[in-house]
Amino acid sequence: MADSKDSWRRDEEEEEEEELDETSYIAQKDAVLFAIDVSETMLASPPPSDDKKAEKDCPTAAAIKCAYQIMQQRIISNPKDMMGVLLFGTEQTKFQDEDENSRGGLQYPHCYLLSDLNIPAAEDVKTLRGVVQQDEEYIDLFVPSKEPVSMSNMLFCANQIFTTKAPNFGSRRLFIITDKDDPHASDKNARSQAAVRAKDLYDLGVVIELFPISHPNHEFDRSKFYDDIIYRDPAAGEDLASAPSNFKSSGNEGISLLNSLISDINSKQVAKRALFSNLPFEIGPDFKISVKGYNLLQKQEKARKGHVYLNGETKQYVEAETAQYAEDLARTVEKVEIKKAFQFGGSQVLFTPEELKELKKFGPPVLRIIGFKPQSMLPFWAAIKKSTFIYPSEEDYVGSTRVFSALWQKLVKDKKMGVAWYIARSNATPTLVAILPSEERADDTTKVPIIPAGLWLYQLPFADDKRELGPQQTPLVAPDALTDEMRKVVQQLQLPKAIYDPSKYPNPSLQWHYKILQALALDEELPEQPEDKTVPRFRQINKRAGEYINKWGQILDKEFREYQKEHYGGMDGTMLKRDRDDSEDPPKKKIKTAHSGKTLDGMSASELKNVVGTKGLSKYTVQEIKDFLVAKGMDAKGKKADLVDRVEQWIEEN
Amino acid sequence: MAKQATMYIVDLGSTMGECHNGRVETDLDFGMKYIWDKIATTMAANLKGGNLGVIGLRTDGTDNPLDTGEEYENISVLRPLGNMDLHQLDELRAQITPSGTEAGDAISAIVVAVHMITEFTKLKSGKPGSYTRKIALLTDGQGIIDDQGLTSIAQQINDCEISLVVIGIDFDDKEFGFKEEDKSTQKQHNESVLRHLTELCDNGVFGTASEAIANLGIPDIKSTKPYSSFEGRLALGDPEKYETTAMYIDVKRYFCTKNAKPSSAKSFVTKAPIASTQSSKTVNSDVDMIDAPANGNGLLTVKSSRTYRVNDPIAPGGRRDIQQEELARGYEYGRTTVHISESDENVTNFETIKSFSIIGFIPSDKYERYLNMGESRMTIAQPINDKARMAFSSLVHALFELDSYAVARIVEKDGKDPQILLLAPSIEPDLEALIDVPLPFAEDVRVYRFPPLDRVITASGSALKKHRYLPDDDLVDAMSDYVDSMDLSAAGKDENGQPVEYMTIEETFTPVIHRINQAIRDRAMYPDEPISPPAEFLTKWSHPPKDLTTKSAHKLEKLVAAAKVHKVPPKVKGTRGRREIPKPLSGLDVEALLNRDKREKISPNNTIPDFKQMLASPADDSVIHDAAKQMGNIIRMHVTNSTGKHKYEEVKADMKTFREYMIEFETPEIWNDFLRDFKKRVANGDLGGDRKELFQSLRWINLGLIDKQALEMSDVTEKEANEFFSLGSDLPTRSRGD
Repeated sequence: MADSKDSWRRDEEEEEEEELDETSYIAQKDAVLFAIDVSETMLASPPPSDDKKAEKDCPTAAAIKCAYQIMQQRIISNPKDMMGVLLFGTEQTKFQDEDENSRGGLQYPHCYLLSDLNIPAAEDVKTLRGVVQQDEEYIDLFVPSKEPVSMSNMLFCANQIFTTKAPNFGSRRLFIITDKDDPHASDKNARSQAAVRAKDLYDLGVVIELFPISHPNHEFDRSKFYDDIIYRDPAAGEDLASAPSNFKSSGNEGISLLNSLISDINSKQVAKRALFSNLPFEIGPDFKISVKGYNLLQKQEKARKGHVYLNGETKQYVEAETAQYAEDLARTVEKVEIKKAFQFGGSQVLFTPEELKELKKFGPPVLRIIGFKPQSMLPFWAAIKKSTFIYPSEEDYVGSTRVFSALWQKLVKDKKMGVAWYIARSNATPTLVAILPSEERADDTTKVPIIPAGLWLYQLPFADDKRELGPQQTPLVAPDALTDEMRKVVQQLQLPKAIYDPSKYPNPSLQWHYKILQALALDEELPEQPEDKTVPRFRQINKRAGEYINKWGQILDKEFREYQKEHYGGMDGTMLKRDRDDSEDPPKKKIKTAHSGKTLDGMSASELKNVVGTKGLSKYTVQEIKDFLVAKGMDAKGKKADLVDRVEQWIEEN
Repeated sequence: MAKQATMYIVDLGSTMGECHNGRVETDLDFGMKYIWDKIATTMAANLKGGNLGVIGLRTDGTDNPLDTGEEYENISVLRPLGNMDLHQLDELRAQITPSGTEAGDAISAIVVAVHMITEFTKLKSGKPGSYTRKIALLTDGQGIIDDQGLTSIAQQINDCEISLVVIGIDFDDKEFGFKEEDKSTQKQHNESVLRHLTELCDNGVFGTASEAIANLGIPDIKSTKPYSSFEGRLALGDPEKYETTAMYIDVKRYFCTKNAKPSSAKSFVTKAPIASTQSSKTVNSDVDMIDAPANGNGLLTVKSSRTYRVNDPIAPGGRRDIQQEELARGYEYGRTTVHISESDENVTNFETIKSFSIIGFIPSDKYERYLNMGESRMTIAQPINDKARMAFSSLVHALFELDSYAVARIVEKDGKDPQILLLAPSIEPDLEALIDVPLPFAEDVRVYRFPPLDRVITASGSALKKHRYLPDDDLVDAMSDYVDSMDLSAAGKDENGQPVEYMTIEETFTPVIHRINQAIRDRAMYPDEPISPPAEFLTKWSHPPKDLTTKSAHKLEKLVAAAKVHKVPPKVKGTRGRREIPKPLSGLDVEALLNRDKREKISPNNTIPDFKQMLASPADDSVIHDAAKQMGNIIRMHVTNSTGKHKYEEVKADMKTFREYMIEFETPEIWNDFLRDFKKRVANGDLGGDRKELFQSLRWINLGLIDKQALEMSDVTEKEANEFFSLGSDLPTRSRGD
């Protein structure tokens, strides 16, 4: 339903593309409710074992830990989205307290709403942590009810939570974590009721995701019950299902249940947000398929620092409202009055907003292939922006998926790329992109996919985007002996599995920021030391390559002495000065050419020393000397003589 | 950018008013295209150092600083060197008309220009200042030119570091491929004199006007000074702790790419028409061009102000304005507000120290290009440090020989956030460097699941190799052939006609930047004319090259045949009775279960599902009316019972479903009647208090009347639907800017 609603909105707003961005964002807000089973089997501790990797958590505990971690993660990554945790099968019963009388109370026996569906607050994090740590006040929660919980009741309970808390969210999902594949084995009526309540949820637009847990002696069988309550929306192309999840209470090949739950839920907890839908992908003239675009890479930033009102009853976050006014009488200005002007020779050149919009128009949205090139023709420096992932959609063109697949296979096989003219949305400015294929990549241990198979739109820079460095000295090419030693160093220090695995490098600044916020929000002690996994492992580097680095250093010293001898005839810098004074070829000439052509900053050490040796520095202007000092990070204030002294000192030291 | 001093010499002799070689415009108008474009480029840059001046050659009168001598007659300074504004441009334009004389010496005009530039760019001390000096001469080569003393004139030009550009109307140019037939001997002579002069100059250019004008299409790229964002040590290991077994190299890091942005427009409003007739004129004309500074021409700059409001139950509307001084700084953690006092800030900031350190190395083929997070930079050894240059070179060469990249962590300044970079070696004859791109952190990668593309996985978990979503062998082969036929790696041509790569980065220009620049220039120079269409070089890359598509047409035909793609017809609104009944994975007929106790009553706490199920397959229209009636009752009940806004979101969700179904069942009048009634009740205050805000908010989420645009058969026009919200008898009309 969510999907059909979205497309309905879209049809109506097609003309007002700019507004669509915002509205579709609102419509795509995501709400996730965890429903975690509490029962004898879910609470059974795994058999004790000496193996360090053996499972330690019972399934319920693993699930709650997982919810706890994911909640903290979502606060960072999706600050506007909602999350809640519902336990079912508990002896205790609790529902939204605010309308206990009208709706809650014992209407949903053995359902315990641990954390109501909402944008998480510090208290919610605290509650979940209390449960995870098995604090006194939560111990009673882990008592399973004596009578079986009614699944239809639980589903209706979820229905109420979604209806009241997140009625207008574009994406609403219920995550059920359970080991019972047949909760109403002997009660046909209860089964039917559950199926009916599941249909209600479907009609409400709530998607059910199942995270089934198998025990060593019992394999979870979806067909017994859950296939009757889970729907797949055919319009969303979801009939191309990925392999269904399955978890083992005893852990899986050394990976704890918790970790497999986290990685699997993680890959599903983020609502798939399409950047654009049904973009025509023109593979050849008059030959189109349709694709959807996704942001698989998104720089996570700290939230903006805002204003806070502290004098009220509770602290309030205050958003500023901006108004525009004319400079003379400070009257507010309506949007329609505003004209746009460019500076031109000290005057303004005026355009109406419509004209300006028209100027930026280069046609309707399209991804049009210009041709193909080998991937090797994409220079490394040609990088400007993160790429967009595209995946076929059957909504506009039936058969898109197979054509897309054929193209993908060809590009993978021959290491080719497409180059295309790309207008992402109407009114978007055109760019040129390389179309690069990605092969499926899964985590080696958890088997959870990291990179999906598909195509990426890699933005190409234009000539305007290239920065030039300007002329530089001819490179001083290292002698072979030195390069050979450096090669050994490089070979010693390959990253694990010879890849850069982003998951191993959390953003230390971001993590620290939110840790501090969490501590402040919960009124707790501030953490002491930030964790930073991006800092190189110096001890490891020393152990593995220290010896080679040392040797490389020695070779460098030796080769450099020889180089100096060859070029300046001295042994080192101290002797250079004297040698130069006696030098047959007076360097005066050199200085003159050096001065007219080069700035101090652009000179090599030898050239600089030449300048100093012949008192040539004073021939430079104060500004030139200052520029040099600033570039070297030194104080650039004072009289010329002082500045010259400072430069000389620097040259001697370096 | 260095300061500029450019003198334009325009030949205004009577012969410039003639039309030649099939052109319908005068030679002067034709040649001025080049000059105007250059002047506009200078003006558009808005630089204080953009000085230009104009000299008229073969003018009726004489007015120049050297006019004491006979040889300097018929040369007039039309505009001395300096910044030019639009007003002066208009004045200049009026002076650019052919004169009534043929007399005037082009070489003399050049001497005047040299004199003016030298004087203008001289510093107080008498030394020449740092300027880019240029003289551009436009002439048809018809006057009489005295060719004596060319060498000394050229010497003077070179001494002053002036570049000389001579643009001749219909001058012969072998390279460009132009030769004028029946050229007069006078012109032949003049051409050779001028050509000779440019050859004597260090920076001389001699060209024919047609070529110069054709080249105007090639855009100027704004050049930027190299900017170094980091200067320090690139380390491997920890040199502080492991003195002899760790290393560092002194390096500098520069921008390599930077996303260029189009010029941005400022916002203005026209002054309210008080009494001045002039400003009221501007109010009415949208396309007005104002040629004086903002304060003098009825334009006012728009500024923005910020206001802050806090929730306050006692204040009217529940909100209260507050001064910024009353606010502290802080963040949101989920929905909890966190205040961080300034004194805490030091403790809470993530402390970093400027550093650049290698984490490890990876083989280059293990890196996926699409992981790149942004612009590239370039690191080189510090130029004054020979030892660093040698050390750096060994690292670059080692990486190059091993086909490896380095992964490094950088903190550009103390306190800045760390970044992870991927460094690749780059070895050119004149530069050895490490080029880097930023890599994603764990948080930057979103794991979405997508089905694989080479197999289909069924609900039961088995993998299929044959499926309508997978290409058959025919399609795979046809695609392969097509892709090969559209290869661009040798589809271009170099100057010698040899095949080269088609569409290199150097040939592509940001369309929007140059489109806007072109439009600004057009509007400024020719205010009364419509803006010309985008230049060819901007749209050239929007389609595949013609000759290639022609050649590969039959491959495409085969591909299309093998693909069998069908376009889905556009969805028809009002799909009454065509809604597919969804089934769970097992295929269980839930409908049948439901039908046993068929829902006829919509309950207030399961509204949307009940409503949908009631209308899943309605027996007749009475069911629709019944469902709509119940829905309406529930909505009104919710609104009436809502404490404040408590139930508003839920009500909106109900309304959305309600409206959607009424469109689908082609019964717009049911919804429209409901909404009109709802409006009346809101106006009368029948719904348990002031519900105007709720009603007004419906407008912004598309919950207005169903009009003709939404459903053809509706009897409500778009205009009516729009006015529905604002007309409200005694409803407040909140005019919002958007």
